[in-house]
Amino acid sequence: MIEFAQPAALWTALAIGLPLLAHMAYRRVTEKFYFPSLRFIRPSQIPRTGKRTPTDIPLLLLRILLFLVLAFLLADPYWRSNVVAAVEEGSEETLIAIDLSPSMAGWQGLEEAKMEALNLIEETSGKVGLIGFGQSIIKKVEIGNNREIIKATIQDLSVDWGRGNAQALLDQAPKLFSEQAFRRKLVIISDFQESDWQTAYSDLATYGIFSKLIKVGSQKGTGGKRKNNLSVLEGRAVPAGPGKVRIWAVLRNWDDVNKTAEVDLIAGGKTQFSNLVTVPPLGSAQTQFVIKEGDFSEAMIKLSSPDEFKLDNERSVWLKAPPSRRFGFWMPEFEDEGTDSEKSFLKTAVASSGDNGWNRWEWDQDRTDALRLGDDQLDVELLMILGLGKWFEEEQLGEFMNRFLSSGGVALVTPGEPFSAAVSVLKSNQLLDFNFVRVAGGAVRGKNPFRIGALEEGSPLIEVFAGKSARDLYLSAIHRFGIMKPGIGTQSIDVPLRDREGRPLAIVRQVDGGGRLVFLPFRMNTDWTDLPLRNSFLPLLMELTRSNLEVSESRGWPVLEPGDVLTGAVGNFKANEPGTFRFEEQWIEVVLSPAESSPVTVSIGEISESLGENGKQDIEALWGESLAEEENSPLWMWFAILAATLLIIEMLWSRPLLHSTTQNQIHA
Amino acid sequence: MVDHNLLDPAHLNKIEDFSLLARVVVDGAMPGIHKSLRQGRGSEFFQYRPYARGEDLKLIDWKVYAKRNELVAKTFQEDTNFTVCLVLDASASMGYQGKRASSSKLRYASMLVACFAYLAQRQGDRLGLFAYSNEVKQWIHPKSGSGQLSRIYSSLQGLEAAGKNDHKFAWERMASALPGRAMVVFLSDFLEAEDSLPESLRFSLSSRYECLCLQVLDPDEIDLPEGEALRFAEMEGNREVSTSPPAIREKYKHDMSVFCDDLQSGLSAVSAEFETLSTEQDLGHALRRFLGMRNRQS
Repeated sequence: MIEFAQPAALWTALAIGLPLLAHMAYRRVTEKFYFPSLRFIRPSQIPRTGKRTPTDIPLLLLRILLFLVLAFLLADPYWRSNVVAAVEEGSEETLIAIDLSPSMAGWQGLEEAKMEALNLIEETSGKVGLIGFGQSIIKKVEIGNNREIIKATIQDLSVDWGRGNAQALLDQAPKLFSEQAFRRKLVIISDFQESDWQTAYSDLATYGIFSKLIKVGSQKGTGGKRKNNLSVLEGRAVPAGPGKVRIWAVLRNWDDVNKTAEVDLIAGGKTQFSNLVTVPPLGSAQTQFVIKEGDFSEAMIKLSSPDEFKLDNERSVWLKAPPSRRFGFWMPEFEDEGTDSEKSFLKTAVASSGDNGWNRWEWDQDRTDALRLGDDQLDVELLMILGLGKWFEEEQLGEFMNRFLSSGGVALVTPGEPFSAAVSVLKSNQLLDFNFVRVAGGAVRGKNPFRIGALEEGSPLIEVFAGKSARDLYLSAIHRFGIMKPGIGTQSIDVPLRDREGRPLAIVRQVDGGGRLVFLPFRMNTDWTDLPLRNSFLPLLMELTRSNLEVSESRGWPVLEPGDVLTGAVGNFKANEPGTFRFEEQWIEVVLSPAESSPVTVSIGEISESLGENGKQDIEALWGESLAEEENSPLWMWFAILAATLLIIEMLWSRPLLHSTTQNQIHA
Repeated sequence: MVDHNLLDPAHLNKIEDFSLLARVVVDGAMPGIHKSLRQGRGSEFFQYRPYARGEDLKLIDWKVYAKRNELVAKTFQEDTNFTVCLVLDASASMGYQGKRASSSKLRYASMLVACFAYLAQRQGDRLGLFAYSNEVKQWIHPKSGSGQLSRIYSSLQGLEAAGKNDHKFAWERMASALPGRAMVVFLSDFLEAEDSLPESLRFSLSSRYECLCLQVLDPDEIDLPEGEALRFAEMEGNREVSTSPPAIREKYKHDMSVFCDDLQSGLSAVSAEFETLSTEQDLGHALRRFLGMRNRQS
C-alpha cells in the first residue's frame, strides 16, 4: 500500500483551494484581445462573478488534480509491501535515555523527563529499555526487561553531580540493542544543555538506530535560553592581614535582567554574615566576608534567594592556609664540601623567602628524590640541581628533567667539575643550547674579582634592583665563572645577568608549558662568589626562579569537580559531590561544574544534525524512509511524471490561441 | 432581379478568385445595373459583327474574310477618358475580423474593389489601384484595358493587413499622379481620421473630381464584441485596456456614432460622399452607391 515518508507535507494539499478561489472568486483577463482602435474604449471594473462556462470546470478539476499530485509528491510516497510490515511487527526495540546531569535538577527538567518517559512506555510497542546518563552511564535497564521494573526505576531516578557528557550515551547506546532488532529506536529525553551537548556526535543511522529527541525543562521550545538562575561561580579564602581571612565569592547572573540576592556565609553551623548583592544581567559581582583566622576551618557561601537551579547556589571553602610550595635538590651521590655549602646556602635562602602562613616554602627532599626516580605526579615547584656533571647523564635524568620543565616546574642548575661536562650534559639533553669557552678566574681569586654589569633596560631584575638596592648586587664579587656562548638553536633564551664585559652570568630558558631553566655559570658557594653572603642573594634567587605560572592569588587547595580523581601518595580520591573533604594531607574542595549552571540549550534541530542525517524527530517517517531504501519502492518519480504531464496539459489547455483576435480569450 | 445570396459576403468569401467573384456579383447578382459598353474608336478590341455596306473598309478584318469568306467588321470599346482610382487602406486594423463577421475588413474591402474595378472596366474607364498603410503597398497607375483588371485582381490577392495607417502620407503620394478627371473611391475604416482626411480630400471640391469614401467597419467596432471582460490591445499600437464590454457598450456606441457623424460632416464640407459599411452587410448597397456616382459623371 502507498505510504508517505513525510506525511506532514500532505497539508500542502490545502493549496487546492487556490485554483478553487481563482475559478470561483476571480475572473482575470489574462490574454490580449487585439482590436483596431482603443479610442473609445475606457477601462472599467472587471466583474468578479460570472457565469461558469463548461470549459472552466474540467480546467478547474485538472488544476485541483495537479495540486493534489504535487502534495503527494512532496510527501515522498513509497509502496510498502505487506511482507515488510509483517517483519517489523514484534521486532521493535526502544531505548529510553534520560539525562541525569545536574542541570536537569533545575527548571523541572527531571520531573518532566520522568513524565515523558512513563508516557512513552505506555505508548510504545515492542521491547523497551532504559538508560540514565550524566558524566557516564549511571542507570541501565536492559532492553526487554519488565516494564514495571523500568517504570519503578524511572520513578527512583535522581540527578548525578558529575558534569553531563552526552557522548557517553551516544557511545554506549548502540551496544544495548540486540542484533535481531529490526527497528532500533533511541528516545533521548534531556534539557539539551549546551555545555553537555555541543560537542556530542554520533551517526546513529550507521548502527541502524533512529533517534527521537524530547526536550524537557522550562522554555523547552527550540533552543534558546532559560531564565532565572544565579550561581556562586567562585569562592576562595585568602589572608587578609594578621589573624584574618577574607572569603570572597563571585556571583554570576545568567539572566538578562538585574538580580539582587542575599549571600550568607555559614560557618560552624550558623550564618555568620549576610550580604545583599546586585548582579548585572549576564554579568558577575563579587562579595567578601572577613573573619578571624583560626575560628573555623571551613565555611559555606550560600545564596538564600531561591531560583530555578538550586544546585549551584552554595559552595564550600576551606579557611585553612594552602599547602606550602616544595623545593629540593638533585646532587651527585657523593657530596663534596663545595656542593654541601652550596646546598646549605640555597636551602636557607629559599626556605626563608616565604612566611609561615599562606606563602610557605617547604624543603621536601623525599618528593624531590621521587621525582628523580621518575614520579612526575608530585608537586615540587623548585628543583635545584647542584654540581651538574656526568652523574646526571649516568642516571639518565634528562628525560625526567624535561618532563618536569614541561609541566611548569622551575629548575636552578649550577655546574660541577669539570665545567665543560656540565655544559655538555645540558646540551646533549637539549636542556640548554650554549657552548663552553673556558673558565675565567680562579687563579687570581680575591684580587680582581669579576663584577656584575649594569642591568640592561628590559631586564626582569631591574624592577627589584633599582637605585640603591642595586648597589649591593653590583658590589658582589664573582671569582670564577664559565664563559659561555650561545649556540645556533631556536630555544627561547634570556640572559638577565652579565658581567661588566657582557658575558652571561645567568642564563634563563623559558620552556613550552610554562617551566623555566636557570643556569648559573658559577657555583653558589664562597669559593666561586660572595653572592650568597650578600643581601641581594635572596631577591636575586627568587626573581630568577619565579615561575611563569606563579600567581600568588591562585594558590590554594585542590579544587575538583564531581567525577575528578586526585592521586595521592597511598590511594586516589574520587570527587563525588560538592563539599570540603580531607584526603591524606590534602584539603580538597569539590564544586559543581560551572558549565552546569549555564541556561543555554541547544535546539533539537542542531542535535539532530549531530546525530546524523537520520536523527530527525519524526522517527516513523524515518523508518519509512529507511525501509524504502532497502525493501520498499519509491513512487516519487511516478508522481513527478504525473505532475509534469498534468502541468503540460494545463499549459496547453490554457495557452493563448493563435487566432486570438477572433477568440474570446477569458480564462480564470 | 437582384439575387441577394450572391451578394452576401459570407458566400462570396468562399470565392478566392477576385475575377470570378466580380463576375458573379456584377453579372450574376446584379445583371444590367451598369451601362452597356459604348462601341467606337477605342483602342481595345471588343467584338466582331457583320459588315454593313457603306461602312469604312478599315473596319473589315481581312484575316477572317480569308478564313471564312465572310466580311466581318471589328468593333472597339470606346474609351471614356474617365479614370476610376480605387484607394484601399491595408493597415493592420483592416485585418480585424470579429466573431460575427464572415471576413476581415480588408477582405470585404478587397471584394468591393474587385467589383468596382470590373464595373468600371466594363464601362471603359481607366482603372488605378493604390493600396497603403504607412507605406505604399500597391500602386497601379490608371490605365484602360483588360490587362489592367488582371493586374488589379492579382494585387488584391497579395495584400496583407499590416502596418499603421497614414492617410495623409498616402494621399500626398497618390495625389500627384491623379489624372485630370477622376473618380476616387476611398475604402478604409477611417479610424481617427476625421480631422486630417477632409483636409486631404479638398481636391474633391473641384468639379473634375468625385470622391466616394466608404468606411468599412466590423460589427464589433460598431457595438463592441461579446464577453464579460476583455483585455483590449491596440492592433496598430501598444496600448492595452482591460474592461468589461457590457459596462461601456452604450457609451462606446454613442462615441462611435459621434465619430462617424463628425467624419461625414467633415467630408461633406469638401463635397466627398461618405458611407459606412459593415462587413456583415451585402455588397449591393456599395455597388449601387458606386454606380450612382459613376453614372453622374457620364
